[in-house]
Amino acid sequence: MDFKKLLEKECVILDGGMGTMLQAAGMQLGEIPEVLGFTSPEILYDIHRAYALSGSDIIYANTFGANRHKLKDSEYTVSEVIKKGLANAKEAVKDLGTYVALDVGPIGQLLEPTGTLTFEEAYDIFKEIVVAGRDDADVIVFETMTDLYELKAAVLAAKENSDLPIMCTMTFEENYRTFTGCSVSAMALTMEGLGVDAIGMNCSLGPKEMYPIVEELARWTTLPMIVKPNAGLPDPETNLYNVTAKEFAEYMARLADIGVKIYGGCCGTTPEFIKELKNALEGVKPAINKVVAKSAICTPCNTVVIDRPRIIGERINPTGKKLFKEALKNNDIDYILGKALEQIDAGADILDVNVGLPEINEKDMMVRVVKAIQAITDVPLQLDSTMPEVLEAGLRVYNGKPIVNSVNGEEQIMENILPLVKKYGASVVGLTLDNGGIPKKAEKRFEIAKKIQKHAKEYGISKENVFIDCLTLTASAEQDGVMETLNALKMVKDELGLRTVLGVSNISFGLPNRELINHNFLTMALTYGLDLPIINPNVESMTGAVRSYNLLTGIDKNSVEYIEAYNQANGDIRKNVSGETKQMDIKQAILSGLKGETKRLTEKMLNEGAEALKIVDDMLIPALDVTGAEFEKGKIFLPQLIMSAEAAQAAFEAIKEDMVKKNNAPVSKGKIIIATVKGDIHDIGKNIVKVLLENYGYNVIDLGRDVPYETVVETAIKEDVKLVGLSALMTTTLVSMEKTIELLRKSGHECKVMVGGAVLTPDYALKIGADYYAKDAKESVDIAKKVLG
Amino acid sequence: MQKIESLDKKEALRYLGYGNNEPDEQVKKILDECEKQITDIAKPAFAYKIFDIEWKDDGIYIPGTTLVFTGESIREHLEGCEKVILMCATSGQEVDRLIRTTQIRGMAKAVIMDALASVSVEYVCNEAERLIRDNVKDYYFTWRFSPGYGDLPIEIQGSFLNVLDAPKTMGVSVTAGDMLTPTKSVTAIIGLSKEPLKAKTRGCISCSMNERCKFRAGGTHCGF
Repeated sequence: MDFKKLLEKECVILDGGMGTMLQAAGMQLGEIPEVLGFTSPEILYDIHRAYALSGSDIIYANTFGANRHKLKDSEYTVSEVIKKGLANAKEAVKDLGTYVALDVGPIGQLLEPTGTLTFEEAYDIFKEIVVAGRDDADVIVFETMTDLYELKAAVLAAKENSDLPIMCTMTFEENYRTFTGCSVSAMALTMEGLGVDAIGMNCSLGPKEMYPIVEELARWTTLPMIVKPNAGLPDPETNLYNVTAKEFAEYMARLADIGVKIYGGCCGTTPEFIKELKNALEGVKPAINKVVAKSAICTPCNTVVIDRPRIIGERINPTGKKLFKEALKNNDIDYILGKALEQIDAGADILDVNVGLPEINEKDMMVRVVKAIQAITDVPLQLDSTMPEVLEAGLRVYNGKPIVNSVNGEEQIMENILPLVKKYGASVVGLTLDNGGIPKKAEKRFEIAKKIQKHAKEYGISKENVFIDCLTLTASAEQDGVMETLNALKMVKDELGLRTVLGVSNISFGLPNRELINHNFLTMALTYGLDLPIINPNVESMTGAVRSYNLLTGIDKNSVEYIEAYNQANGDIRKNVSGETKQMDIKQAILSGLKGETKRLTEKMLNEGAEALKIVDDMLIPALDVTGAEFEKGKIFLPQLIMSAEAAQAAFEAIKEDMVKKNNAPVSKGKIIIATVKGDIHDIGKNIVKVLLENYGYNVIDLGRDVPYETVVETAIKEDVKLVGLSALMTTTLVSMEKTIELLRKSGHECKVMVGGAVLTPDYALKIGADYYAKDAKESVDIAKKVLG
Repeated sequence: MQKIESLDKKEALRYLGYGNNEPDEQVKKILDECEKQITDIAKPAFAYKIFDIEWKDDGIYIPGTTLVFTGESIREHLEGCEKVILMCATSGQEVDRLIRTTQIRGMAKAVIMDALASVSVEYVCNEAERLIRDNVKDYYFTWRFSPGYGDLPIEIQGSFLNVLDAPKTMGVSVTAGDMLTPTKSVTAIIGLSKEPLKAKTRGCISCSMNERCKFRAGGTHCGF
């Protein structure tokens, strides 16, 4: 059956609640409703048929929860349940011509980073469902989704494994957000980008409460809109819904004014509701949604519209940064996350992510970094690589709508990258250069921009999603080029109506007082129409240039943002701290837990020629030993112990920077693996241990949480690690700890194992084959000293 | 549910091992910051349902659902009760992310944040119970007993949440290892009785510090 043809109808009607009907038929709470397809097909037959006869154009098969996770204790396979569910629905409506949807709900387990289910596992779970249902369904529906990431996995699985049309609806609360914080705009931008056929919302609210949220959706999408609300709100005591079928239908019909195309009911609605709905929509012509598409990118919780200058932070990039390269080589993701937060705090709206280094697997690193950054911030990303496979890997796991950096006027490059931009629904940066290099004249760069836009259009990428970079040349070498860049930028902006992006700092290369030139060039570029400056936001004058531009051009209404940014800076508390602590030495600074002061003192000693190892052995470690001893005696407590450790860490950073500068090998007293075992997601204890161990000069390989047994063993062998620390918080995950140790012993790799965690006891630690039990972070250091020296 | 107004910092300090010791100024200041951040972003939510219970040899059955509570601890807990409230409460996903982000900024603040976040879900539970009591008059309540306490298996978490429709109505679900996500979430069983219940103390069984408590290790009690 042809879904497009169905959409030619003015209004398309879906079915109503399934759970409601099943419970009325006597289903127990907690039972798997999908299994009823085998045990009570007649109940389903009646429900489906009742909906079809009431006027549904599409009915949803009873397959909502038919996934590997929910059926794990069932005697039926996913494929059996899906096929049965679809067959029952088809059987019920075979003489009526009603469309049958493969109905797919959430997996029922949270995805990373809050949960443990990986994006890739989620994709597999949905793929299994799609493959099982693709031959029998007319359309695939993903509904009641609250996590954009899960929905993205689902839609990719559907797109890559079937040709069926896709409808998707998420569940929003009255605050216009889903439980996971996903906004209406983020859903629209991301799903429209991925190429679904219709989007909307279902469940949670009644039609009246949904009205403003549908209005919001209409501002963000040109796709057909779906609305499938509950029968009002449930009474918490009786669980009954408060809207009658007639009222429901009346409210629903009003949604036609906003342009809703597809109507149905969710919890609490029955065939009677659908019948009333059908009547109410008789002869109704939904309004045409005249929304203009916006240039915007997003994460689930944060949509950034490019309707004013937005700062792209450039610091996640190893080019010319020794410490960053070291971090990439050592898989030190925390270092990169630190760079992300630093830029966001300074005012970045978007972060460029480039992790290209010849010695590492850039593709894996891109995936790890994208996942790690989106776990801690909601700032959208610009994925930056020259390799299509790296970009694709990043695009796949990105949660939301990102920017791809970049294509240029070369045919081959556009051919490689634009299809990816289209498939994953991103925006793209186009550099105005081609095989002939960077044209000198503005007009020629403009021509390339035009060519990029044309190609993008051929691939189905609309102009709002093409951002042109007219390329900054170095003023000291090509002084005439400066205005060519700015003129080209203005032409692209005015004549093509495209957004513009520009890396700024190159302008001053080779000149003294670079900041001054950068700052002025940025201001000039902004007045020429620059939308997306790529800068180091940590440089105050650069971020300040954008802030003052926004104030002076009236973008920052009533100077609210400007005042907020600079009022805070006046109350900078750091100044007070350094004023008080003139007489301190490193040891005292550590004991007082003063990060900045410890770092400053360490730098001073290094500059005066002190030997790094001597500072570590004579100052850092004795100071940490003191705090450790006081902690044991109960004189200081956990937060203070960690504060001192973090102060020492700041000293280590200074030492590391110094060594890299002098090209010395870093200080290391030996490698230690730490991991929170498979199945366990509580990693704060492990992270405390990490800080402490690092401060004693150990090189800690942190494998994270929910770590598979094999990963621990493989890493131990590959890195030849002699001490492995495992943590588990729950009784249920102690089994994983035991299995990890077992596998480690079986591998024959010689190493010691220390274990810790809330429910462990010394006896139990020995029982599961550990060498040491650490009751707290402090003890893990004592053990490390014993094992590694 | 209303926004969280304030958090019991003494309780957070107890989790951090302070006992009755006073924290220093620096820690006090961080506690205040963390309190503000958590109360700003937490999305407290709860769900509950009331059921009859059926005592059988192999466990306590909840008619109309697939749930069966096994073990001695829950029998003891529900002694004298004719009904139960099953409830779930959460501080929301944003709190989890706040803890993750804080860990990158600094572990000292992160441990304090984590402790205070645990306090926040306890707050949500107390508020939820208060609201439930307004609706459920005529009954005496037991304290809140959670799956995983004593010998009540934690493996029932999944079905427990499904009975409350918690994945759908409040975004709380379990991992493959039966842990609740968001992590600052709680499920609990409250027994209901028409007759006054024998006073039972919560004791250490319900405390998250249970196994690593310094007081317990020393054979004493924190007095909570």
